[in-house]
Amino acid sequence: MKKLVIALVASIFSFSVMADGHAEWWKKAGAPYAGTVLQGVAENTPPGQFAGEVLAKDFEALTGIKVQLENTSWDSMYDKAIKDMEANSGIYDFVYIEQDIVYDYLNRDFLVNISEGLANNPDLQAPGVSLDDFTTFIDYFKDGSGDVFGVPMEAFIKVYLYRKDLFEAADAKAAFRAQYGYGLAPATSFEQYRDNAEFFTHYCADNGMECWGTTVQGHTGHPASTYEFLESIGPSFGLYNWGVNMDSYQSCVENGGQLNGGRAKAALNFWTQLLPFAPPEALQSTWSEVGASFAAGRAAQGWVYGENAAWIATDAEKSAVVGNVGVMLPPTAPGVMTQAASGNGYIGYFDGGAYGIPHSSKNKEATMLWLQYVAQNEVQADWAIAGGRITHKSTYADPKVMAVDEQADGYFTLMRDTGFLYAGAPPFPFHGAGRAAIDPFIYKALAGEMTPEAALDGACAALDKVMSDLGYQG
Amino acid sequence: MFSNNKTGWLLLSPTILILFLVGLVPFFYVLYVGFFKWNPLAVDPSMQFEGFGYNYRELIFDEVFLSSIWRSIRFAVVTLFFELSLGFLLALSLLSSFPLKSFFRGVHTLPLVIAPIVVGSIFKLFSVQGLGPLPHFLKDFFGYTLNYGLNADQAFWMIVIMDIWHWTPFVTLTLLAGLSALPQDPYESAKIDGANNFQIFIYITIPMMVPVLIVVIFIRLMDSLKIVDEVWMLTGGGPGYATRFTGIHIWKEVFEKRFYGFGSAMSILYLYITIVICWLLYSVMVSRGKSED
Repeated sequence: MKKLVIALVASIFSFSVMADGHAEWWKKAGAPYAGTVLQGVAENTPPGQFAGEVLAKDFEALTGIKVQLENTSWDSMYDKAIKDMEANSGIYDFVYIEQDIVYDYLNRDFLVNISEGLANNPDLQAPGVSLDDFTTFIDYFKDGSGDVFGVPMEAFIKVYLYRKDLFEAADAKAAFRAQYGYGLAPATSFEQYRDNAEFFTHYCADNGMECWGTTVQGHTGHPASTYEFLESIGPSFGLYNWGVNMDSYQSCVENGGQLNGGRAKAALNFWTQLLPFAPPEALQSTWSEVGASFAAGRAAQGWVYGENAAWIATDAEKSAVVGNVGVMLPPTAPGVMTQAASGNGYIGYFDGGAYGIPHSSKNKEATMLWLQYVAQNEVQADWAIAGGRITHKSTYADPKVMAVDEQADGYFTLMRDTGFLYAGAPPFPFHGAGRAAIDPFIYKALAGEMTPEAALDGACAALDKVMSDLGYQG
Repeated sequence: MFSNNKTGWLLLSPTILILFLVGLVPFFYVLYVGFFKWNPLAVDPSMQFEGFGYNYRELIFDEVFLSSIWRSIRFAVVTLFFELSLGFLLALSLLSSFPLKSFFRGVHTLPLVIAPIVVGSIFKLFSVQGLGPLPHFLKDFFGYTLNYGLNADQAFWMIVIMDIWHWTPFVTLTLLAGLSALPQDPYESAKIDGANNFQIFIYITIPMMVPVLIVVIFIRLMDSLKIVDEVWMLTGGGPGYATRFTGIHIWKEVFEKRFYGFGSAMSILYLYITIVICWLLYSVMVSRGKSED
C-alpha cells in the first residue's frame, strides 16, 4: 500500500512534468472520446494493479476517457477474455495477452493490428511514443511482417531467490560443511540445490523456525505446476519447447520428441523429490502462493516469478524478508547455459504480457490512445518499481529503478544482462489444449500416484494425441 | 372459453418465449454442435461433420470421461445419504422445543445463502495445508495429516463434507416444512394402538413424507451430479483426476482444450444419463409408494 501511495505521488509528479510537454496533445486527442468508458480484463498482478489504480486515473484526468480495468485471477481472465472474443460480444476494449497465448489469439484472428491502426490514423499517434523504445520482448507480439498486436505491459524473468540471512548464518555454514563436506552457498547445480533444501528443512525445524528448504509450485489441480515443470525446471535440465519436435509435432521419444526423454525424466524426478523439503502448502501453491510463501519467510530458496521479486525484496508491509533476499540465475544442467548463450536453448521462462485490442472492441481508437499512454517512457519507472517488470530499454537507467535494483540484490540488472538466456513459450497455437492434456500427469507425479517416468510417458502420449487430433502431425 | 384460453396464452407468451430462447435454443445448439468435430485451435478450425455418432463413439471409449461419471454418481449417492440422514434428524429435532431454537435455526440456515464459489473459498482457507486451522488442529490433537493436494481420498471426502455443510440446511428446511404439515390423526391413532416412537417413525412418518422426500432427493441428486464451483475452488479437480467430476471434466475439455464438438456430445450424454438415473429413481419410489398403499 505504502509503495502504491509513493508510486501514486510519483506518477502525479511525472504527470505534472508531462503536462509541460505533451499534455495538450493528449487533451486534444482525447476530446472526441471524452466520457467513453474503456473496459479491460487482465490478471491480478502487481503490474496490473498499478495500471488499474494509477495509470488509468492519470489517463482519465488527462483525456476524459475512463478506463475500467478488471484485474482478476489468471483462470478467470482467460475465461472472460476468450469468451468475449469468441462471441464477438465487445464487452472488453482491451485484454491482457500473456506471452504464451499470443500465438493462439493471432491464429484465431482475435486481435487488432495496432501498427496498422496507428498508421491509418495519424491523428492518434502520440508524440514521444515509439514502439522502438521497447525491449526485444515486444517481438513476441508481432506477426510475421513485424506488425504489433500487443503493447507489452509487463516482462520479467523467473529467478532463483534465496534467503541471505539463512545462507550467511555462521552456525548454518558450519553445520552444512560438517554434513555435506563442502561450503554452504546458493545453488548453482541441482545436487547443491537439493542439499540446500534438505539441510534448511532440518535446520529450520531444529531452530524452531517455520521454514523449509525450498518452494515448489506444485498445485495438483492447477496448471501452475505444469507450467513450472515445462517452463522452468525442464528448460534448466535442457528440455526445450515442452519436448515437442518442432518439425513433426511429436513429443514422445519413440517419435522424435523429448517429453519422455532422459532430461525430462531427470527434471521431473529432481522436482518431485524436493517435495519433502517444501512447505506443506506446496501442493496447493500456484505462482501467487509461492511468492507469498517466500515473502512470509517460509522457504530458504526457490524459483520465483520476477513480478514478485521486487516487492518481496523491498516492501516491508507485505514481506518478512526485506533486506535478506538474494537473487541469482537458477541452477542449470551441464551444457544448458552454453546452449542458451548461443541461442540454441534457454534456461527458463521470460514471462510477461501485453494489452491488445480485440476485434470486437467498440472503442478501438480510444483504446489505442490508452495503449500508447501506457507505452510512454515517462510512466515506466514507477511501474517497474511497483511491479518488478521492465518493458522499455531506458527504464533500466532510471535513478529510481536503480535504487530499487540495489535493494533487490540486482534483480533488474540481472534481467537486463541475462534476459537473453531466457525465452518465452514456444509458438504453439494449440498451447492451452496441449498443456491441459499434460496437466493430469504432472498432478499425479506430484501426488505420488505415478512415477515421474510413467507420468511423462502418459503425458507425451496425451499431448501427441491432441496434436494429432488437431491436425498438426501432417 | 376460447377467449379465456387466448388471454391465457397471451399472458404466458413472454415466459414461453424466454424459456424457448434461454432453454431450448441453447439445448438444440449444443445437440447440433455435438455432431461435429470442431476445435478452433486445429489446423482446420471449421466444423467438420463426421457422422452423427462420431463424438459419441469416441466417448464410449474415453476412460477419463467414464470414470468422471462414476465419480460423480458415487459423490451424489454419498452426499445424498448423509444430507438426507442428517437433514431428517435435524428437521425432527426442530419440531420439538428447546432453548435458543430460533437462533440455531437461523445459524443452521446460513450456508444456504452463500454462493458455491465462496463456500469453496471458505473451505480452502479453512483446510489448506500450512495455513488453514483444520490441518493444524488435526495434526496437533489427533496426529492426522490432512493434505488433500496429495491424498486423493482426502480430496474426495473434503468435497463431500463441504457439500454436506452447504446443502443439509436445504434438506432440513424442506423436510421440516413437510413434517409440520403432516396430519396429526394417524399419530394419535398409532399411540392409542400402542405403537412406540420408532414404529411411528417407520410406519407413519416416512410413508407420509414420501412425496416431500422425492422432491428433495431429485433436487439434491441433480445438483450433486452437476457440481463444479466448489470443487473448482477447493481442488481444481485434483490431485490427478481424484475430484474431476463430470462438470469439471466437460469444462476442461471445452474451455481449456477447446474441443467444442466433443464437449457438447459429453454434455448431451451426461444430461441423458442424469435423466435416466432420475427416472429410474422416480419409478422405484413411486412403485414402492403404491405397493405400500
